[in-house]
Amino acid sequence: MSSPIAATMASTTAAGDVSLTGVTKTFGDMTAVRDLDLNVPQGEFLSMLGPSGSGKTTVLRMIAGFEDTTSGSIRIGGEDLTRVPPHQRPVNTVFQDYALFPHLTIAENVAYGLRVRGQSKSDRSDAVSSAIAQVRLEHVSSRLPHQLSGGQRQRIALARALILRPRVLLLDEPLGALDKQLREEMQIELKSIQREVGITFIFVTHDQEEALTLSDRVAVFNNGRIEQIGTAREVYEYPQTEFVARFLGLSNIIPARTVEQLTGQARVVSVRPERVRLLTDADATSGNDIVLAGTVAEIVYTGPTTRVLVDTADGLRLITETQNSHHPAADVEVRRGDRVRVAWTDDHSATLP
Amino acid sequence: MKSRFFTGAAVVAVAALALTGCTASADESDSAGGALKIDVPDLPTHEKIGDFEDSLDIVAWSGFVEPAWSDDFTKETGCTVNRRVAGTSDEMVQLMRTGDYDLVTASGDASLRLIAGGDVAPLNLDLVPNFGDDIVEGMKGQIYDTINGKSYGVPIGRGANILQYNSEVVTEEPTSWSVAWEPDSPYAGQIIAYDAPIYIADAAVYLMAHEPDLGIKNPYALDKEQLAAAIDLLKQQNKIVSEYWADPAAQITSFAGGNTVVGTSWEILRKLTEDEKFKSVLPEEGSTGWSDAWMLSAESDSPNCAYAWMDYTSAPEVNGQIAMGFGMAPANAAFCDLNDEAKAHCDYFNATDEEYFKKVWFWTTPIEQCIDGRTDVQCTNFQEWTDAWLTVKG
Amino acid sequence: MKRRTQLAGLLALPMFWLVGIYIFSLIMLLATAFWTTDPFTSKVKPGFTLRNFEQLIVNPAYLSTAVRTLLIALAVTALCMLISVPLGIFMAKIAKPWLRGLLAVAITLPLWAGYLVKILAMRVTFTDEGFFNWALGPFGITGPSFSVTTVILTLTYLWLPYMAIPVYTAIRQLPANLFDASADLGAGAWRTIRTIVLPLIKPAIIAGSIFTFSLSLGDYIAAKFVGGSTQMIGSIIASNINLNPPVAAAFAVVPIAFVVVYLLSVQRTGALERM
Repeated sequence: MSSPIAATMASTTAAGDVSLTGVTKTFGDMTAVRDLDLNVPQGEFLSMLGPSGSGKTTVLRMIAGFEDTTSGSIRIGGEDLTRVPPHQRPVNTVFQDYALFPHLTIAENVAYGLRVRGQSKSDRSDAVSSAIAQVRLEHVSSRLPHQLSGGQRQRIALARALILRPRVLLLDEPLGALDKQLREEMQIELKSIQREVGITFIFVTHDQEEALTLSDRVAVFNNGRIEQIGTAREVYEYPQTEFVARFLGLSNIIPARTVEQLTGQARVVSVRPERVRLLTDADATSGNDIVLAGTVAEIVYTGPTTRVLVDTADGLRLITETQNSHHPAADVEVRRGDRVRVAWTDDHSATLP
Repeated sequence: MKSRFFTGAAVVAVAALALTGCTASADESDSAGGALKIDVPDLPTHEKIGDFEDSLDIVAWSGFVEPAWSDDFTKETGCTVNRRVAGTSDEMVQLMRTGDYDLVTASGDASLRLIAGGDVAPLNLDLVPNFGDDIVEGMKGQIYDTINGKSYGVPIGRGANILQYNSEVVTEEPTSWSVAWEPDSPYAGQIIAYDAPIYIADAAVYLMAHEPDLGIKNPYALDKEQLAAAIDLLKQQNKIVSEYWADPAAQITSFAGGNTVVGTSWEILRKLTEDEKFKSVLPEEGSTGWSDAWMLSAESDSPNCAYAWMDYTSAPEVNGQIAMGFGMAPANAAFCDLNDEAKAHCDYFNATDEEYFKKVWFWTTPIEQCIDGRTDVQCTNFQEWTDAWLTVKG
Repeated sequence: MKRRTQLAGLLALPMFWLVGIYIFSLIMLLATAFWTTDPFTSKVKPGFTLRNFEQLIVNPAYLSTAVRTLLIALAVTALCMLISVPLGIFMAKIAKPWLRGLLAVAITLPLWAGYLVKILAMRVTFTDEGFFNWALGPFGITGPSFSVTTVILTLTYLWLPYMAIPVYTAIRQLPANLFDASADLGAGAWRTIRTIVLPLIKPAIIAGSIFTFSLSLGDYIAAKFVGGSTQMIGSIIASNINLNPPVAAAFAVVPIAFVVVYLLSVQRTGALERM
């Protein structure tokens, strides 16, 4: 949990800092969030990643104020907001299904927050136009939400939240309802908007690729706790728990017994499939390499890569993943049942507790 | 019009009596009945009893035609009795005009309309031997059943609209209706009044005693000026009433619930409160009252059954059963001598106390012809009363 | 051809109902309003006179009764709205499921009992020695006894389900995150109700108000039992229905006119299309 950014931000407090201390949330007998500490410095794009029910959305809703905390405190910019109702918090939210007001036009939706603040119609019209322009939807401003496509609604929800210049923007799986292509476009747009406005984004998702793509840091949630928090590279390359290793993409978990046989150290390691090389007889290995022998059990072509599943003598199944090159001839040339060796550099593996 | 509106479930206790009023008007029995000539259709009377028909259709107040006595009648005569219960006098009039019914238990505010409309036929009282000397004097020859010397009805029973009071509040027995009419009544705001146009007659009774200059001789014969005076009195009373009642259950709960401490009632309603603190009096001004009679449809297709029924129900036992069931004074005084229970009933309802009923003006349909004998003015009819009544509450 | 026969079969009963019974009786009623009555026998005579309608305006008692009835109906409708909206929000958004179920039963409970039973229950409640005074007397509050106020309260009690149920259902169907979104954008509870909830449940409120308004206009039993000396349009119709049907018919047109005006005015808001 010692990311360099968090360390530097801990000392001074900026307006967009979000700090959760010892936050617990229970619903009846069920504990959704357990004794959670989280610090998000001003301007960071933090993703909260985890399976459904892991507590990530509950944390987001507590930051927004929609849920009370059972215990613990929530601070933004150093100010304790634990008991402040949602409408008085300096945060805004983009909801999973956008939550646009169906009876208001797009412009009225975007203007809603300003209207609540008591701004006159003439004062707010410029702000509304530019907020809608920022998401490039000027032409739909007089329509009703149901006349818009999913992607358009998503952008309006973003404009509606950003127009209030919140210190923190909360996004609750905002791209979940979009198809893959649109989602990828929106990811880029989100990232650039975040860079532009420079405020803290806290982004909930269960899509690990999305989390890795967008975020400065990723907090991986499991069972009401943060299993690991760090940069995308940190959590991907150096998972600290088996859960993180497995949840973020594919991973080979090598049991302590096997590792001990190979290295003499009894520890569990995780190694990503793309770090595992499939060796031909001619391939040399270095002293740092850990090598295992096995039989090809399956070959899976995924487009950009080919995965080869290898069963070792002691019952382990390892996955290797290799980039496909331009020339088929250069690609993996093994068949099911072939005896092969696989290897990885010890530095490329992560030791799990 | 009395509305005998049945409030279904609510009123179980009172349901039996829900029928209220009846009819007939009278005046000083000598003056009005025989002397007055009224234009009515000339219809034939039934000559003699022939073979009984199969069935008899009766429009009745609830409680007047019950299996307890109609079953025996059917056994004796073979006439199947079909009862249609009506809730108001108006409804009875409408039903009789369909021609589908043979008999009706007409009240005084319905009878004149039926007679004048040619809906009911004059009766041959010789065919009703039980209509004899035992019928109480006050119910013979009244205007409701005797027009131009012809009888149209066989009396069933009668009752007075009395002044009931809560003796815990009204500690001294009132002798006058003034506690219910005058704005300075100590019970202002706790007075109950009857809710029907015919209640105008109650105002007229009070005015007869207290405003002799108006010249009211019969509360059902009011000229325009007299009607206006009665309405003024009612409007004055409107400011001090707690409520108006048409439903017996409502009247009882109004007294029992404390909203009302004094006002118009019937003996049977007082009895139903089952509370000794409620007492009643017939004030010195006298009062209005009601009296019901069997009347025969002019289009009856079962006249023989109908005559048999009228005779059967005029027998002391049956007449008494009806009177006790409903809670009124029976028409046949012979009932009172049958046994102690009958005697107690007659005493309670003043059945044979003609002095008592002399002070009672039985409900009569007001018509344009003044039934007090005046010919120099036109009196106000019931429609005018109804219109005027609606202005009381505004 | 076959399709046509089928269509005719499908529509036969509703059309018979609508035209044969409903429209026809309404037309007969209207026609009667132009007839006259024999003052003595009170037999209705066909003819043509505008006198019955003239009475409605000329007779100050009729006019004031019509106005009073209109005001009562409006007050009942307003009161039903004032109760239904907060109640619906509480039930749909705040109450625990068991409490929600309990309240739903409590609201619909009046529909299970007979109409007269309910009115008489209210009568008992509001008598001087009744529950209302018994419960609130110790706080120095005296009930309205039998009066226009009691009529309004009773009619509100009677017709509340017709407002509360559609309003509750409408609020329940509002996505929860609209409430969150409004709060998130800075709106307090009242603001959210005013700017988000009310506009979205307006069709339900109007649907409910059509019931509460027209049912109140037509009622007179409540006035009779808990109104003290209160007189409503229905009281006058009831007084005349047998004695002078033409006047009753003419008066029956008044609530119909009120309802038509009401429907036209809500229709202008476009709410009816969304009902």
